[in-house]
Amino acid sequence: MSTLVLTIRESIRYRGRSGHLSWIAHRISGLAILAFLVMHVWDTANANFYPALYEWSIELFKHPLFALGEIALMAAVLYHAFNGIRITIMDFKPELWKHQTRSATIVWALFFVVFIPIAILMFRELMHGCAARGAACWQIPSLSDFLN
Amino acid sequence: MTTPTGITYRKVAVPSNLERRAFLFMRLSGAALLLLAVGHMMIQHVLNSSQNLTLQFVAQQWSSWGWRVYDMLLLFFAITHGFNGLRNVLEDYVHNRNAVKWINRFLFVFAILTIIWAGIAIATF
Ligand code: HEM
Repeated sequence: MSTLVLTIRESIRYRGRSGHLSWIAHRISGLAILAFLVMHVWDTANANFYPALYEWSIELFKHPLFALGEIALMAAVLYHAFNGIRITIMDFKPELWKHQTRSATIVWALFFVVFIPIAILMFRELMHGCAARGAACWQIPSLSDFLN
Repeated sequence: MTTPTGITYRKVAVPSNLERRAFLFMRLSGAALLLLAVGHMMIQHVLNSSQNLTLQFVAQQWSSWGWRVYDMLLLFFAITHGFNGLRNVLEDYVHNRNAVKWINRFLFVFAILTIIWAGIAIATF
């Protein structure tokens, strides 16, 4: 346990400036996407193997908390994708290394420019869906309703 | 060679081994995922929405081979890239060689099972 605390503390404390922040963000976004992806892939396979279970899960995913998580997932994918391209270009072009800091800033700028309008669209969709379902919006769908 | 700002570098031929190929694979699959994964997010979560997702919608998409191939490619690259990335991360933090070996074996089997299970789900829908 103390090694976990040490790892987390030292990961935050290490001061590699902008590249350090990019590294943490790339690592956490990658792991977060993977955690979601494994759940998502096994769940979507249920559309074929256990359709009733799948229909329950997609109702559950309409819940506002899941819809907010979906927006966070969008952020993770966009940042990880843009920064991954930066890493790849830098790995093969050492002559660009003098632009490390600037390249990290460009990725953050690109990320915010793309993510913010998309987040607004997704949030509006969340609100529409919630309004359409009325009181059921905050309810957790009951599994037994779907299995019968 | 030295750049005007004083960064010195030289090109070296890196001998090919498993780690070198894994390194290249992360970058190659990353480029593929830029289209596949970001495209998937835009198509399914912005143009369409999970707020009105239904089983019929999934059935309609997977009745076409175009969507099936798209989703299978996404499945393959996202799982292999993601699990190889996880392996990278764990090797930074787990220092017991034997533990690393067994974690890697477990991750490998789990990743393959995931691809097969979901691949069958897509192919036979
Ligand atoms: C969307 C396009 C994507 C691009 C361009 C991309 C690019 C990259 C690159 C180049 C690396 C290697 C970083 C390094 O070796 O230092 C990496 C690491 C990683 N990626 Fe991706 N990736 C993408 C999507 C994904 C997806 C969908 C997942 C999840 C399934 C994922 C999970 C990871 C993980 C866990 C790592 C390891 C992080 C680390 O070593 O700190 N990536 N990505």
